[in-house]
Amino acid sequence: MLDALVSMNTGSVELAQLAFPTEMSQSVLAPYLFVSAAMFAIGLIGFITRKNMIIMFLCTELMFQAAGLALIAFGRHHLGADGQTFVIFVLCVAAAEAAMALALVVLLFRHRESLSASAWKELNG
Amino acid sequence: MEHIIDPIALYLVCGLGAAGIALALPRRGKSLELVGAIVLAVALGLGALILGLKATDSGQPIPNIFFYPFAIIGLGAAVRMITHKRPVYSALYFIMTIIASCGMYLLLSAEFMAFALVIIYAGAILITYLFVIMLATQAPTGDADELLDEVDAVSREPILACVIGFVLLGLMTGAMFRGIGSLPEPQMTQAQASDSVLAFLPKKIDKVLEREGLLDNGWRVARDHETGHAIIDVDARTIELELIGADAHGHNAVLATRTLTSEDWPESLSANNLDRLGFNLLNDHPMMIEVAGIILLMAMLGATVLARKHVELEDNLKAAQARKLGTMLDQSQPASQSSSIHSARGHA
Repeated sequence: MLDALVSMNTGSVELAQLAFPTEMSQSVLAPYLFVSAAMFAIGLIGFITRKNMIIMFLCTELMFQAAGLALIAFGRHHLGADGQTFVIFVLCVAAAEAAMALALVVLLFRHRESLSASAWKELNG
Repeated sequence: MEHIIDPIALYLVCGLGAAGIALALPRRGKSLELVGAIVLAVALGLGALILGLKATDSGQPIPNIFFYPFAIIGLGAAVRMITHKRPVYSALYFIMTIIASCGMYLLLSAEFMAFALVIIYAGAILITYLFVIMLATQAPTGDADELLDEVDAVSREPILACVIGFVLLGLMTGAMFRGIGSLPEPQMTQAQASDSVLAFLPKKIDKVLEREGLLDNGWRVARDHETGHAIIDVDARTIELELIGADAHGHNAVLATRTLTSEDWPESLSANNLDRLGFNLLNDHPMMIEVAGIILLMAMLGATVLARKHVELEDNLKAAQARKLGTMLDQSQPASQSSSIHSARGHA
């Protein structure tokens, strides 16, 4: 297995010189998607378990990040630039979300002097 | 249908990961972070090993060797981010996740997005988060965990959340790995994908050909009369050239044409990632820029309205301010009348 890795590596150290992206096999795509899905699941767990509102919003950013990785991987598989274009859009939405979310956090913190999401329990109806 | 990864092994890895995270999440009392970390490391290593072994057994190509460190650093930092008790460290670990995924973007030949991600995410968004964390947290002075806020020290429903998260992960990856074999092949050939935007860039072709010594004096790439696009055939690898000179009336005109064959196609003539991304963004999705602009504008307005603060001034300070304003606005007006200026904002 090590031989295979080494030969694979010397044959194709493909860092930033991919002006000609070659076709990507599905067995190469799958690990990227697995990492993306795992990152999304970790973000979801963080969002559910943590009580600090800032960390909760940070976890949504992690989920954005996971979606971006999946988009880029699929875009690479289809040899198009659409995936990357959409990641630019995701980045915009993430920036807008960060601005709004942090403004909200600051507002809520001023009212209760606490970052805990359970300080606003009465909102659950 | 062949599975990319054995489902049993996949669910085993997911289960181990769930157990590791559930152990590592913050709790009062005896910390189990180390145990959780070991379980998680085992899960990550097992996952990488299974993926690698499976790929080498079946002779299918595996990802670049750099993928594994990037994936492990990214996932490890993500786990540390949700398990760390101090918000500032969480944000810093998130930056580490970002940088690891930038590495993966590079491996996926999305160089521009990789650097944009470092600049925008790690450089701007996360710094905003750090500012707010520092503004809104009453940091304990000591290092002891007992001094931490209740918010950060205890997690809510860790076991249930981990079960939910990793059942989701197992289902997602199981479905994904089964369906990935039926993904359609890319619609275009490699040459079309990478070089079809070259037709938009006649000057770039000129420059490359000149550097390679393929253009004689006065020659250039033939342009389409209406659109100004270069006339090239990326599949057949041929380039039309034209000789520009003064005709009988002294105007610039095409005097001769010839064709560069595929043998002469220079190695270095290809569209880079930035060319492709730029033309894709502006040609195929122009509306997206408008939508993104509106979203950002609304976010800016919303953030300003939400976060502005009602300033309570002392009465005598207010009167002094009003007097000053009054004398500035109207010298003759008595100061006492303008002292009724209120703060612009009502109560939230």
